[in-house]
Amino acid sequence: MIIKTREIDNVVVFDVEGEIRRTDTAQETLHSLVEAQLDRGRRNVLLNLGGVEFIDSFGVGQILASYISTQNLGGRLKLCKISHKLLLIFQITMLTKVLDIHEDCDRALESFGKA
Amino acid sequence: MPDGRLERILRGFGDVRGREARAALSLSAFFFLITFTFYIIKPVKESFLIGTAPTWWPFAELATALLIGFVVALNARLLDRLPRRTYLTASLLFFIASLLAFWFVFDVHQRSLVTTPVADVSGIFFFLWAQITILNSWQVLVIVFCFWADIFIALSVTQFWIAVNDIFDPHQAKRLVGLFVAGGLFGGIAGSGAAALVTFARVLHAEDLLLVCPVLLVLALVVINVVYAEQRKIDTAVGDERIARGFKVGYLESFRAVRRDRYLRLLAAMLASSMVAGSLINYQFKTVVKSFVTNDQQRTAAIAVFFLIILAVSTVFHLLTTGRVLRTYGIRWAILVAPAFLLLGSAAVFLIPAGAMLAWACFVRGSDKSFDNTLSQSVRELLYIPVSADVKYRAKLFIDMFVSKFATGLGAALFLLLYYTRMFGYRADQPLAVVREIGLVVLVFLALWLVLTRLVYREYPAVLKKDLGRLWVPGQDVVDEHIDERLVREVFEAIQSRERSTTLYYMNLFNLVRSNNLTPELKELLGIKRDEIKARAMDALFDVGGGAFFPGLDEAITDTEFQKEIDFIFLLPSYQKIMDDRLGGIVASPSEVDRIEAANSICRMTPSPSTMEALTRLLQDPSPDVVLYALNSASVHRRREHLPLIVRQLANPPTAAEAQTALAAYGPDVLGFIAPILRSADEPLEIRRAIPDVLARIGTQKAADILVAELARRLDDMEQPLVDALYKLRAARPEVRFRAKDLRPELLHLIVKACDLVTDPPGPPDAGKAQLDIRIRRVFDLLTLLYPREEIVNDYQNILQGTAKSVDYSLEHLDNLLDREVKELLFPLIEDLPAGERCLRLKKALRLK
Repeated sequence: MIIKTREIDNVVVFDVEGEIRRTDTAQETLHSLVEAQLDRGRRNVLLNLGGVEFIDSFGVGQILASYISTQNLGGRLKLCKISHKLLLIFQITMLTKVLDIHEDCDRALESFGKA
Repeated sequence: MPDGRLERILRGFGDVRGREARAALSLSAFFFLITFTFYIIKPVKESFLIGTAPTWWPFAELATALLIGFVVALNARLLDRLPRRTYLTASLLFFIASLLAFWFVFDVHQRSLVTTPVADVSGIFFFLWAQITILNSWQVLVIVFCFWADIFIALSVTQFWIAVNDIFDPHQAKRLVGLFVAGGLFGGIAGSGAAALVTFARVLHAEDLLLVCPVLLVLALVVINVVYAEQRKIDTAVGDERIARGFKVGYLESFRAVRRDRYLRLLAAMLASSMVAGSLINYQFKTVVKSFVTNDQQRTAAIAVFFLIILAVSTVFHLLTTGRVLRTYGIRWAILVAPAFLLLGSAAVFLIPAGAMLAWACFVRGSDKSFDNTLSQSVRELLYIPVSADVKYRAKLFIDMFVSKFATGLGAALFLLLYYTRMFGYRADQPLAVVREIGLVVLVFLALWLVLTRLVYREYPAVLKKDLGRLWVPGQDVVDEHIDERLVREVFEAIQSRERSTTLYYMNLFNLVRSNNLTPELKELLGIKRDEIKARAMDALFDVGGGAFFPGLDEAITDTEFQKEIDFIFLLPSYQKIMDDRLGGIVASPSEVDRIEAANSICRMTPSPSTMEALTRLLQDPSPDVVLYALNSASVHRRREHLPLIVRQLANPPTAAEAQTALAAYGPDVLGFIAPILRSADEPLEIRRAIPDVLARIGTQKAADILVAELARRLDDMEQPLVDALYKLRAARPEVRFRAKDLRPELLHLIVKACDLVTDPPGPPDAGKAQLDIRIRRVFDLLTLLYPREEIVNDYQNILQGTAKSVDYSLEHLDNLLDREVKELLFPLIEDLPAGERCLRLKKALRLK
């Protein structure tokens, strides 16, 4: 898994590529990277999962933990460009009731400004 | 004058900041002019009234009490129909005109003739008639004048506070109340000083002083119009609608607003009891003055001097004490000062000799007026502030004008009752006895006032909280409300395992079916077919492999029956033996999938020594996926010998979360094992930082105590996980108790660390602000352990992201909730202050600490 970080306006974007799985994790997890940005005072986080083909239970845990940390500070965490297969699983497991998922990352970025 | 310089000058009177300085000064000047006017009128009124027989005295207040309702109704209608500025302007013009009329009346009485020139013969008849009427109806005219003066001051003061509420937010108003009251006090000093000077020096007759008042009121008119005009400009610029858009206020509505609201009823009752007591104290004072000072001019001068001294004392008291009392002790204790002090002072009448009566009367009446001008007035106005704006205007109208005057009238009625039943008319030579009899009734109402202050204060925080709600729901609550997190993880594991191993996949399916939480969509996604799962279980037993052993079974089996069947299979001794024998080999297998299956199977096996030995080895497996299932099985069997291996996994990010879950599954029994690890500096930091969350999940009192004890060691690296865990524990287990004596020092320590970030910033401003936000967050998390959690969370969220009004309300709520030491350090961190000011206040607070 490779995670690149960039900032657009006041939104921190994490571009994730590869598989978010337990066996492919360095010492710095996705959640720890999100927390580092929250500690810097950032409150808007966008996870771009366009390059993600697979997520296991560990990956789901990382996304949920990132969501919880962001929400607790009054911030917002959104996802974009999730694959159709993953979206289906997210819908069936009700994760879409918790996570704000956008098809398109530009629309996701716009939605931060509107709220 | 530049705003900065003005602000600095005004700081001596109140906490004035930035752009509000001009408006604050203008409103203070308005109040100055109003009270200047009133304190010229007042000695004239009092002297004329005391000059009449004592039986006339109560009628002045009774007239007010009976007629105030009509005035309130008319005033309410005007407030309702007119724009604010028009309403204020019309009121002031009315008072100016009536002052001129009263001057004419008093001039005629004093000279006993009319000297006004007339241009027309018919005018002579009118003025002759007027002269005769005035001379014959002097007492009635005095009563009318007293009634008018009461209406003037009541309306003017109410209008002033309405203007304050229009222009400023609650917390602003609280900060500025000192400046406003100072303006009022200086106006009173100026008025009574002018009245005393001219009457003592006989430069003017008392009634001629009334000609000065219209000039003052014209100035007041100009000032208030300027204030509103400037505020409208500011509102337009910032897009804020601060000036109320003329709430519709009818008299009945005002009454209903009070009647409906318990808090307002209590406020009304508290004010009423204080006014009755004050009215009776006033009658005690009048009785004593009448017996000691018999000459009219001397009496007017003496009363003017009395009010001058009172106001001077009030000013000094106010400048030195009011703000300090409010800041230090809050409304909670400030509200008690006046009734308690007056109770003691009034009780002293039973101990004093006759010779000390005048001094006593001046002291008690003076104290009553002083408190009324300063602390009591400030507290009363502050008690109104958290009431919502539309209710507040209605209620203030009713309470300040009708209730207060009615209460004064009640005091007058009680005096009349005492006068006739106790024959005061025949006991003019026994002023001390008369005063003592009135004193008994005074004590009753002072005691009632004291009781009502407690009741009002009990309701005050609830009123503040009404406007404070959650701005966002904590993340874990959102997750818990919508999903079963454990189930979601198991679904993802099941889907993943489908690619790895059919056996593992069906094992996971079985676990999911067992959990009974599968929706039809999930079942379809996972492709659950009961027959096939059952077949695979048999497949494992006989090690057949390949396709379904029992294809096409169509029996209609309920889920519970299905589970029982699978349980039966797994509990078969033969199955257990086979698995036991095979486990040793599987654990050493080079195939990761085999080891995963083995780890998963162990959770259903009886904990034989060989099985547990296998689990021990699997917990040390190099594959995180194997360890994941092994941890799950370990949480089922909960064997002590596995604890060190589970703890070791806390340092491994891929399995840390599952290790925490496994440890938490052991329950309180694990506390004795993990507590020393938490404390030991020899253990890896990642492990120690992961343990607080386990303690939070266990959630017992002992777990909480362990967390607090560790927090008290004040290790920087452990601070965040400990505070997070304590916050989580408090949210999940409200029954767990935290001792203030253990937590307060840590709370203060955290606040001081936050203060240090401001007074001694470690790096660039942006980074410093982010760190400060984190520290403040931790402070509030700890506050939830000592104060009502919901209230603290609401306050924090509103301070962080609320509107200006909700920030004010949150600060006011915290001001009444937190103790002084915490407030002094915390408030400079959370209030909106310029950086320099924040730093100064913190340095001062830290020095004092």
